[in-house]
Amino acid sequence: MVLEGKHMKNRSRRNFLKTAAATCSGLILPGLVSAFAQQPPLKLGYLPITDATPLLVAHGLGYFAQEGLEVERPVMVRSWKILTESFLAGKFDLTHMLFPIPVWMRFKQKNPVKVLAWDHTNGSAVTVRGDSEIFNFLDLGGKQVAVPSWYSMHNLILQMGIRTQGLVPVIKPQSAKLAPNEVNLFVLSPPDMPPALLGKRIDAFIVADPFNALAQEKFNARIMRFSGDIWKNHPCCVIVAAESFINKNRVVVQKAVNAVVRAQAWCQKNPKETAHLLSRDGEGYLPVPESVLARVFEPPKKTELVHPDWNVERIGFQPFPFPSATRFIVEQMKKTRVEGDTDFLASLDAGRATAELVDDSFVRKAMDEMGGIHTFCDCNIETPFSREEIVEIN
Amino acid sequence: MAFGWKYEILGLALFVGIWLLVTGLVFTRPQYSQFKGFLPGPTLAALMDAFQDSRFWISVFSSLRRILVGIFLAATIGFPLGIFMGFYPKFRGLSYSPLQFIRMISPLSWMPVALLLFASFESAVYFLIVMATICPIILNTTIGVLNINPQWIKMALNQGATNTQLILTIVIPSSLPHMLTSLRLALGVAWIVLVPAEFLGVSSGLGYLINDARDTMEYDKLMAMIIAIGILGFILDRFFQRLQHKFNRSWNE
Repeated sequence: MVLEGKHMKNRSRRNFLKTAAATCSGLILPGLVSAFAQQPPLKLGYLPITDATPLLVAHGLGYFAQEGLEVERPVMVRSWKILTESFLAGKFDLTHMLFPIPVWMRFKQKNPVKVLAWDHTNGSAVTVRGDSEIFNFLDLGGKQVAVPSWYSMHNLILQMGIRTQGLVPVIKPQSAKLAPNEVNLFVLSPPDMPPALLGKRIDAFIVADPFNALAQEKFNARIMRFSGDIWKNHPCCVIVAAESFINKNRVVVQKAVNAVVRAQAWCQKNPKETAHLLSRDGEGYLPVPESVLARVFEPPKKTELVHPDWNVERIGFQPFPFPSATRFIVEQMKKTRVEGDTDFLASLDAGRATAELVDDSFVRKAMDEMGGIHTFCDCNIETPFSREEIVEIN
Repeated sequence: MAFGWKYEILGLALFVGIWLLVTGLVFTRPQYSQFKGFLPGPTLAALMDAFQDSRFWISVFSSLRRILVGIFLAATIGFPLGIFMGFYPKFRGLSYSPLQFIRMISPLSWMPVALLLFASFESAVYFLIVMATICPIILNTTIGVLNINPQWIKMALNQGATNTQLILTIVIPSSLPHMLTSLRLALGVAWIVLVPAEFLGVSSGLGYLINDARDTMEYDKLMAMIIAIGILGFILDRFFQRLQHKFNRSWNE
C-alpha cells in the first residue's frame, strides 16, 4: 500500500511537471513547440488476464524506458469489447488481442490492423468441477460449455475438440433440450465463469488464466485439458497495432517490440518473479494474489497432461508468428460456429490473410537482438522460421 | 423527514434482519461455502479492512467525484432545458419525442460512443453518468414548471412582466423543489451506472473494486463495497434532502 501511494505521488508530480512545462511553453511560441514536440507517450491497454504478461512485465521492469520510450502505465479495461473499442478509438497504440479478433477486424470490419508478434503461447484450459464426470472431449456431449467470446481462440480450440469426437457444437438457449451428441456453447464473461461452474449453471468452461487457476485454488476445480495439450504451443493473444500507427512510427514500434520480446525472454526464465510482479502482492497489474498466478507460470504436472512428451508450458512466451499457425487459425475459423455474420470468412484465403495480417519484420529484428529464435523455442535447426502444427485431441 | 428517526432506525434494523435471514438461509449451505462472503460477518470484517486501506479511500474519493461532477454537468444542461420546455409549449412539443426516445436507451449502450468521443477514460465515465442522469433532471424540472399556479403567471402578465422577468421571478423559484427532487433521482441513477462505467480504463473507484472482487471471487470484499456505496448514497441523499427542505420552507414562509 505504501508503495502504491508513492507511485501515485510520483506519477502526479510528473504529470504536474508536464502540465507546467506545457503551459509555460504554450505561453512562448506554440508553433515552435510543436516542431520540437516529443513523441507522445505510448499507450498500452490490457485485460486482467495472464495473456497480458509480456506487456506488463516490459513495463514493470522498465524495458520500454530502457529502449528510450516514454510509456504510460498500461491501462486495464474489463472486457474484450471495451478493449477493441478503445483500440479502434485510438486510446491504445499497442495491445494484446486474441488472434481471431484482428482477423475479424481486418477482414470483416476492414480496419487495417497488423499482428506484430505472438504475445504468448498456450495459456488457456478447459476446466470442470472437481467431482465432474467429464474427462475428455467425448464426455462433453449433452453439456453446457461457456466460452469468453465467439471470436476467441478458446471457442476455436473447443470446437476443434468437440468436432473430432463426432459431437456437434450448437448455440441454443440454455433451457433447450440437447441431443446426447450436442454441446451447447454460450458466451460468458470470464469473471462469471468460476462461480457459474461452482453453482452448476455450466458443466465446463474454456478461458484464459488466471480464471482456471482461480477455480482450482478456490474450489478444487479440475483442468480437463490445457489448451497447449491439444494444440502444441498454439498462439493465443497476439501483439496488435494499427497499420497507420506502425507506418508513422516505425522506430517506436521497433523499440516497443524489442521491449516486449525482452520481457518474454525474462518471463520464460523467471516464472516465480513474473507471478509476483504481476500480482496484487507485487506491482498490482492484475487484481489476483500471487498464489493463484504461481500456478499459471509453474510448469504443469505431468499427470495433468495427455501429452507429457510435448513438454509444453501452461503459458509460454515464444514471440515468432509462425505463418503455418496463422493459416491454420483462419482455416479453423471457417469451420467454427459463432453467433453473427461470418460470410467474410468463406472468401478469405488463408495464405493471403496471413501475408496481409502479420508483419514479422519487427519481431525478427527483436529476436536477433536477444540471441535469435532459439532463445525462445527448440525449433528446427535448419528451418527455424517454419514449423509443423501439431494437434492431437483425445 | 416526515416520519421521525425512530422509524428510520427500525427500517434499517428490519433491512439488516432480512439480510441476516436470507444469507443465513442460503449461503450457509455447504455447496455454497465459496459464497459465504455474502454473510454479514465476513462482510463487516472486509469493510473494516477496507477502512484501513488507502486504496479504498482513494476509490471513495474518485467515485464521489465522478458522481458529483456528472450530476453537476447534467444539471447545468438539464435545468435550463427543462425550464424552457416547461415555459415554451412549442419547444416542449419539439423536444418531447427526442427526449422520450433517448430516455429509454440504457446509458451503457453509449459506451462505444463515449470511448470514441472522449479522449480520456475519465471523461467517458462522466459522459455516461450525464447520459444517465440528464433525462430525470429535464423531465422533473419541466413538471415543476408546468405545476406552477397559472394565477401567478396571469397576475404577473397583467402587470406587464416580460418573459425574462417571469422566468427569473416566478418560474425558477417555484420549480426549485422539483429541481432538487430531480437531483435526488439523478443520484440514484448515477450510482447504478457507476459500477459498469468503471469497467472502462480507470484505476480506482468503488465500482472498480467491485470488479476486482468479482475477478478474484472475494465476495466479502464485494459485499463490503456494496455496503459502502449504500452508506455514501444515504449520506448524499440526506444532504440533498436537507437542501430541499430548506428551499421548501423559505418558499412557504
